Amino acid sequence: MSEHAEGSHLPPRSTVKRWLVTTNHKDVGILYIVTALFFLVFGGILALLIRTQMWSPGGTILSGMGYNQAVTGHGLLMVFWFISPFAFGLANYVVPIQIGAEDLAFPRLNALSYWMYLFSGLLFGSSYFLGSSFQGGWTLYAPLNVPTYIPDVAAVGSVAAILALLLFVASVTISSVNFLTTMYRMRAKGLRMRDLPLFSLSIVLTVWMMLFAFAALLAALIILSADNIFGTTYFANEAGGAMLWTHLFWFFGHPEVYIVFFPALGIMAETFQTFSGKRLVGRKWFILAMVLVALQSFVVWMHHMFLTGINLPVKTIFMATTIGISLPFDLMMFALIYTMIKGKVRFTVPFLWNLGAVILFIVGGITGVFLGAVVLDYQFRGTYWVVAHFHYVMVGGATAMFGGLYYWFPKMTGKMYDRKLGMANFLTYFVGFNLLYFPMFVVWETPRRVFEYSEAFTPWHRVATVGAFLLASSFLIMFYNLAKSIYAGDPAPDNPWEYGSTIEWSIPSPPPLENFPKGIPSYTTGKLEFLSEDEAIEQSDRVSSSGHAAPAAADGGTVTATEGALATSAEPALEAGHEDDHVDHASWWPVTLSLAGFVTFLGLAGIQFEYFLWPGLFAISFFIAYLGIEGARRDGFASIHALMLGLGAAGFLVVLQLLSIDKGGLGAAIDGASPYFYVTTLGAFMGTASLISMGWESFNVPEPVLAERWPFAAVGKWKLGMWVFLASDVILFGAFIGSYLFMRVANGWTDWHHLIPEAHVTMPGLINTYLLLASSFAVVVALEAAKHEKRKQLIGWLFLTFALGIGFLINKGIEWQHLAHLHTEAFPEGWFLTTNVASSTFFLTTGLHGAHVIVGLLITLFLIVRAWTGAYMGEEASGTVEYFGLYWHFVDIVWLFLFPLFYIV
Amino acid sequence: MSQLRTYTIMFVVLMVFSTTQAMLEFTGLLEQYYWAIFGVIMVLSTIKAVVVAGWYQHLRYEPRSVTYMIASGVLAVVALTTAAAYSIL
Repeated sequence: MSEHAEGSHLPPRSTVKRWLVTTNHKDVGILYIVTALFFLVFGGILALLIRTQMWSPGGTILSGMGYNQAVTGHGLLMVFWFISPFAFGLANYVVPIQIGAEDLAFPRLNALSYWMYLFSGLLFGSSYFLGSSFQGGWTLYAPLNVPTYIPDVAAVGSVAAILALLLFVASVTISSVNFLTTMYRMRAKGLRMRDLPLFSLSIVLTVWMMLFAFAALLAALIILSADNIFGTTYFANEAGGAMLWTHLFWFFGHPEVYIVFFPALGIMAETFQTFSGKRLVGRKWFILAMVLVALQSFVVWMHHMFLTGINLPVKTIFMATTIGISLPFDLMMFALIYTMIKGKVRFTVPFLWNLGAVILFIVGGITGVFLGAVVLDYQFRGTYWVVAHFHYVMVGGATAMFGGLYYWFPKMTGKMYDRKLGMANFLTYFVGFNLLYFPMFVVWETPRRVFEYSEAFTPWHRVATVGAFLLASSFLIMFYNLAKSIYAGDPAPDNPWEYGSTIEWSIPSPPPLENFPKGIPSYTTGKLEFLSEDEAIEQSDRVSSSGHAAPAAADGGTVTATEGALATSAEPALEAGHEDDHVDHASWWPVTLSLAGFVTFLGLAGIQFEYFLWPGLFAISFFIAYLGIEGARRDGFASIHALMLGLGAAGFLVVLQLLSIDKGGLGAAIDGASPYFYVTTLGAFMGTASLISMGWESFNVPEPVLAERWPFAAVGKWKLGMWVFLASDVILFGAFIGSYLFMRVANGWTDWHHLIPEAHVTMPGLINTYLLLASSFAVVVALEAAKHEKRKQLIGWLFLTFALGIGFLINKGIEWQHLAHLHTEAFPEGWFLTTNVASSTFFLTTGLHGAHVIVGLLITLFLIVRAWTGAYMGEEASGTVEYFGLYWHFVDIVWLFLFPLFYIV
Repeated sequence: MSQLRTYTIMFVVLMVFSTTQAMLEFTGLLEQYYWAIFGVIMVLSTIKAVVVAGWYQHLRYEPRSVTYMIASGVLAVVALTTAAAYSIL
């Protein structure tokens, strides 16, 4: 490890603190992998319970509700908390190296993604201790996901499970923004997107799918949480609630299949190249096929809905798109097979796992085509055919990832695994897998999700159960092998594979903290070189003047058997001053913020509706006061800090007074609050403090001096990160607006008017439109002031933005109060969240928008406090105001559609 | 502050368009020609969104790739909504 690595404020890896505060991509990758394996064991134990229950028709050891929890938990844990995070553990470790970057673009956000992932999983685990976890299956189909159909004993645990998923999706969104920004802004010079190593290429496509697909799931989960916590009536609506859930879920769910499988494809392609010593046959077509699948993945979701009430023409269309998506996969499988045929295969442990994965995937793929045909799906849906098919696909993908773990294990640890144990591990796994899942095809008529089946099927189910335990035992071999090898394995060379040709094999095993001790990686000459900073700048100038770099070969192209040939120069490579670019690699705030998220969501799982608002109001007061405290501590005391502290304290007292009035006295408020209220409030306070501290923390990760950045060369990383986030927010709000439109179509477009009181008029919406447009104008003028270093003007325009935003919220509050307290013949109890589906869509959608406004206003306060002491002055420093402006204008744009849809038409 | 004039003009356009949308309802035109006026109102909203994105978010000065990225998101939700709504007709 380099001098620089030791001096970068990170404690050694042997300490617990290191793993809590690290933001380094390799550490985070290892954390992801270990945590994902933990959740694999968790989900695997539930699977063993399921298989034990299936030993005999009618079950053996579990109650009905216990079995339902096991089935639901197994599905959710494996799909969400094991497979994808396992892939992203590998991606975290490998991708930055493969593209020639020292780390991800936003290391703290990377750590935040990990910790949110871990705590989301723990929150899901905790749902089992809150009475009962969710029991309605991993697809959370409506109406089993709404309060009426959730048993009382599972009321809190089910909401905890839903909120755990929500926290997980937040983690995924942050991670997607991070990976996309990294891969488009930090590639080694000369490394075009199409030349990326195939694993990295599969990851970039995966992340695009994640960005859009998970945003749709986020919308679905927010609505579901609202149905369960506030009592909104989306998914309970008889006219279209259940259909709405299936549309939203599968719009996410089918791309999710490829999100899970693409990293596996990338690993297969890489290992097939490495262990056949042959560049992937038809590499260009393989990449095009992956791109095609990524696009097609968003137009096949309704094949999961052939047995619902969707019309026949749309079923036919989606049957065609579904059959169509199998074609690019055929091409990819043939490319892999031909690569083996053309090359000279070395049957190493990683290769065997990947060969096994190809075989399993072919079986899974072929059996899936049956389900794409409408008529056959009528027969197969809800049977063990589906169970067997998707396990061959999904666990087939996981098989390649286990191969990937063996493949990169020597790089990560600097130790070789035990080959014999690796072989035994694979054989046990492969035999166990097929014993477990193949009998399910034979007895496919077994109904899914229940433990009743025909007596005649018993022998086959017993074989499957034996297979399950054999499969489970294979992981004991794996864990033993890897643990033993870490301590007693043979030292691994930089490149343990004869034909490993991607960049990670040209650096030490394990890599130093900032990855490239030999210099800055570059592909400008068409092959990998390591350059000193001077050489790199010189080469960059040369490339700029000649237009393009030579086509690079980041994998498989310039196969070399000698690792030394990969590197050309340059020790000592990095300038001494380089260390100053990396102020710190350690931060406590990702873990504390995620812990706060866990505590808050745990509280929200059981909070009473009438107490829901108060933790948020207390937290806002605390936020304002803490801005004053932290600002004075970090930037030196100024009058604005006293003002904030005073405002926050006053706000806190006002909220306390209002709570007291609302509940008929402070004593009654305290008596009436459940423990969940206090847990929520505690979490909100912890989150607030962590967020502000993180915002103020000095954490400078400059962009590389030289990098390939097509097609975002002219967009800085922060701005690109914000735009990518906004792209996902487009889907979030789009899904909300789409849900409203869908429910309106389902309930009759013009009949909808009968669900709305006459008191719901256009004027409040118009006034709010004026206010938001004016605030957008104020923000854009504030930016101009910041660029021209006019501090007072900047503060003034930001204050105006804040005032207009507050005006927006007050106007909305008055309108909501009015509507909630109506006493008309049609709406004697007022018109609020729970009244009907129209009120649910109105209050929840505009409420989500209002929450965005509140977040924007808190950021505005933060900017004001910092601008007061001189921040953001000048063209470059004003960037923060610009990025905030992008968010604020987006919130404005959303309102421009909410206004006509909810107030006019 | 050379941009200020442009921002101000755009602000005026946005306010006028918003007022127009509301006026179409106030005057009873929406009730009389529901679908035609519905179309006009949504087109006006789209123009307003393009103005805010183009000028206030400076999208017109960014590389086209940023626009394509956002447009892909919009396309995805339009496709989802249209296909989902069509599926139950």
